[in-house]
Amino acid sequence: MPDRSAPRAGAAAAGGKAVSVLGGAEPWLEMRGITKVYPNGTRALENVDLVVAKGEIHGLLGENGAGKSTLMKILSGILPLTAGRIRLGGRDISLRTTHDALAHGIGMVHQHFSLVPTFTALDNILLGRGALLSSPNRAQARARVQRLMDETGLYAPLDVPVEQLPVGTQQRIEILKTLDREVDLLILDEPTAVLTPQETDQLFQVLRALAARGTTIILITHKLQEILALTHAVTVLRNGRVVGTRLTAGATAADLARMMVGAERLPDVKQRQPHAAAQPVLRVAGITVKDDSGQDAVKNVSFEIYTGEIFAIAGVTGNGQTELVEALTGLRPIASGRAYLLGESINGKSPRQLYRMGLAHVPEDRHRLGMVAQLSVLENSILGIHHERRFRRRLPGTLHWGKVRRHARYLVERFQVLTPSLSTPMRSLSGGNQQKLVVGRELSKSPSLVVAGQPTRGLDVAASAAIRDLLMDIRNEGQAVLLVSADLDETLALADRVAVMYEGEILAVLERDQFDRERIGLLMGGVRDGSAAG
Amino acid sequence: MDPRPVEQWELETAQRQERRRQLRGTLGSFAEIAVALVIGLGVGAVVMRVAGYDWLLAYEGLVMGSFGDLWAVADTLASATPLILTGLVFGLSARAGYFNIGAQGQMVIGALAAVAVGAHISGPPVVAVTVTFLAAGVAGAIWALPPALLKATRGVHEVISTIMFNWIAHYTALYLVFNLLNDPRSAERSLRVVPEARLGALIPGADMTAAIFVAAGVALGIYWLLWHSPWGYEMRIAGLNPSALRYAGANPLWSVNLTFILAGLAAGIAGASQVIGRPPTYALYGDLSNLGDLGFDGIAVALIGRNHPIGIILAAVFIGALGAGARMMQIMANVPLDMVRIVHGTVIIALAAPEAWSLLGKLLGLNRRRGQSAAAAPAKALPQ
Repeated sequence: MPDRSAPRAGAAAAGGKAVSVLGGAEPWLEMRGITKVYPNGTRALENVDLVVAKGEIHGLLGENGAGKSTLMKILSGILPLTAGRIRLGGRDISLRTTHDALAHGIGMVHQHFSLVPTFTALDNILLGRGALLSSPNRAQARARVQRLMDETGLYAPLDVPVEQLPVGTQQRIEILKTLDREVDLLILDEPTAVLTPQETDQLFQVLRALAARGTTIILITHKLQEILALTHAVTVLRNGRVVGTRLTAGATAADLARMMVGAERLPDVKQRQPHAAAQPVLRVAGITVKDDSGQDAVKNVSFEIYTGEIFAIAGVTGNGQTELVEALTGLRPIASGRAYLLGESINGKSPRQLYRMGLAHVPEDRHRLGMVAQLSVLENSILGIHHERRFRRRLPGTLHWGKVRRHARYLVERFQVLTPSLSTPMRSLSGGNQQKLVVGRELSKSPSLVVAGQPTRGLDVAASAAIRDLLMDIRNEGQAVLLVSADLDETLALADRVAVMYEGEILAVLERDQFDRERIGLLMGGVRDGSAAG
Repeated sequence: MDPRPVEQWELETAQRQERRRQLRGTLGSFAEIAVALVIGLGVGAVVMRVAGYDWLLAYEGLVMGSFGDLWAVADTLASATPLILTGLVFGLSARAGYFNIGAQGQMVIGALAAVAVGAHISGPPVVAVTVTFLAAGVAGAIWALPPALLKATRGVHEVISTIMFNWIAHYTALYLVFNLLNDPRSAERSLRVVPEARLGALIPGADMTAAIFVAAGVALGIYWLLWHSPWGYEMRIAGLNPSALRYAGANPLWSVNLTFILAGLAAGIAGASQVIGRPPTYALYGDLSNLGDLGFDGIAVALIGRNHPIGIILAAVFIGALGAGARMMQIMANVPLDMVRIVHGTVIIALAAPEAWSLLGKLLGLNRRRGQSAAAAPAKALPQ
């Protein structure tokens, strides 16, 4: 690993704060050599060390899939570890269930709350603690929760159903619920994802106060500013390994961004051919899109995509990319603003109308949207184009399976899909071959714009390369591609322009000659003025 | 560069694997049916044995009574006729992802419409019969519509609404048979349909009428719809992966409604088949006894037939045979009717169990996912 020892030396030289192990404090939680291999062989964590002192706020920073959540799920007893050991206060502990973890005072607040919407705050806090109904216990418990609120400053109305409370308050209840179980190691997974800036400030004040009282806090985040604003020390993970641990005091956003995105390993892609005059294909003018809970997931976003270019959206997943793609492909309403495909408005258009206008969509969630696993390769080859006249018999409303078969055979041969037969169910194919069929089907619509979400996620190297080449082909033939990928290397290798999305906004659009990993890393972490900070 | 070519050996390996998988699948489903039959009939035999009856003779009677001669076969097919139709109601809905148990009510409404139209119609027999069947089908479809709309627009679960509509249909029928549609000369039943609207026995002495062809025709029509039309393609996708249906540009609301309407149509025709296609009554009894629980029996038929139209025809004939053979079981082995029903029950449960199990799992799984998305997206959730 690149720099495990260097930051320690640096921290010692700087003097540090006694609240962190790097600053000379006594280690309290020690996770040593943690390795996690999933049953399917995925190595999520490789020999990870995490050492935290009592009363420390420790940040856990990394991109998607870096292993932050896996590590914390092991610590909170949700996942078993494959190898490694965990010590708390100098004693080895074993965490097989969440009860074990709670018994050792370790509790986790998840990104998605586990509150019963129709219960009051008090009921939610007491749920599972046996004091819901019987009144003497309940009065006692109420007093206890009230005391806890006074001590921590985490105030919430106790007798209102939580569904009527704002998200920030719900989160406070979630934290109270955890603290009420005598937790002194509090794990927070992306706690500010759902909060307004004011709520975030309040949360940070409370967390600082909790730490001052001796509660240890581990904060999972990909937001650089939060790390700098709140934590004493930070451990950066990438691809399941520790990149380094350092004191926050003295670290800059640029340092952390560099650690988070790492060095370049761009995949090889086909030659990019120059184009003459480019015409706009997609024009997005200030659109806002709401997520499932009704909050703005995409905020007033504008951009244009031209013929013969791959326009990529980079960013940590969950920053509005999915909602943006769904809105542009007719699967989610555009709340405000307008978007135009080849000059024609797409607001309120259905997916089928958009296909007719020249859109193709390789969906990010192949299994949920792009295919029907139980149906055959043959049947999947016309998903979304099954209503077209070219697959009909003259008898009204009858599918001409012979013509469909010809189409499917063409796709299988043109895109080299490995399938025993056309009647094989889609689920029997490997992920790469499924994706080749989906991509092939979408390209067979001869689209003007291809929207591709995470097109190579979960695919092997050969299949990924084939998909990337196909995208580059489309670009070179003069069509436009909107690529959304969580893989920064892939994005930088393919894209002509990259837009960095953070919390529903596009912070910057960079041309190819401005591609700079560190600056993009900063932008992905929410540091707006990327170039200045570097 | 094109995608890396598929090598010949890769293709051959995959094809070999698939042949093995298919063989295993085919053998597996045959074995499943064989084992189920052995278990069902075996348990039935043990029950009869313990109760002191000659089980071998009883089973001989079952075969004689259902397939022993031409009349037996005709009786079997007569019993199978409404079961094919009510089986299709459940099977079609299950294919599209819904747990539609409204066949009973839709059938009752269809039977009422058959009486109301058939008792007053005049014209040549072909026209009278066709119009009566159509009226019953349309009535059944209309009865199926409110649950479909409630589901599509308000998310009301179809199990709840169809059960409610079954009861509404039941009491409406009781009221109408004794009032508006009552035959003043024979107050225990409704008016009889006019002779032109009656289907006669094809073989004198047996109950089978041309209604069996109507039922088989509806089954083949639904088979064609599901596997040879774009709408059926969408309905099957609605049942397997509703999100993919939206991605494919189709409207899930339309799929829900179409499924329910077609299912209601089949149920209504089932009702008519018992009124105009089953000698000798050609009317609806006051206690609706000539409809019985045929709507619910269709659920078992669909489960045994694996929700496939052709499978449903076979399953309906099988259950029809159990019904037709019941009399000979009683006559030849002196097995009382209740015991015959116990034996039938064990056989049906054994045959339907595998499909019921997987369907139940799917339903519970779907509901869990639905519940989650409903929690996340209060109003805009898919109707599925």
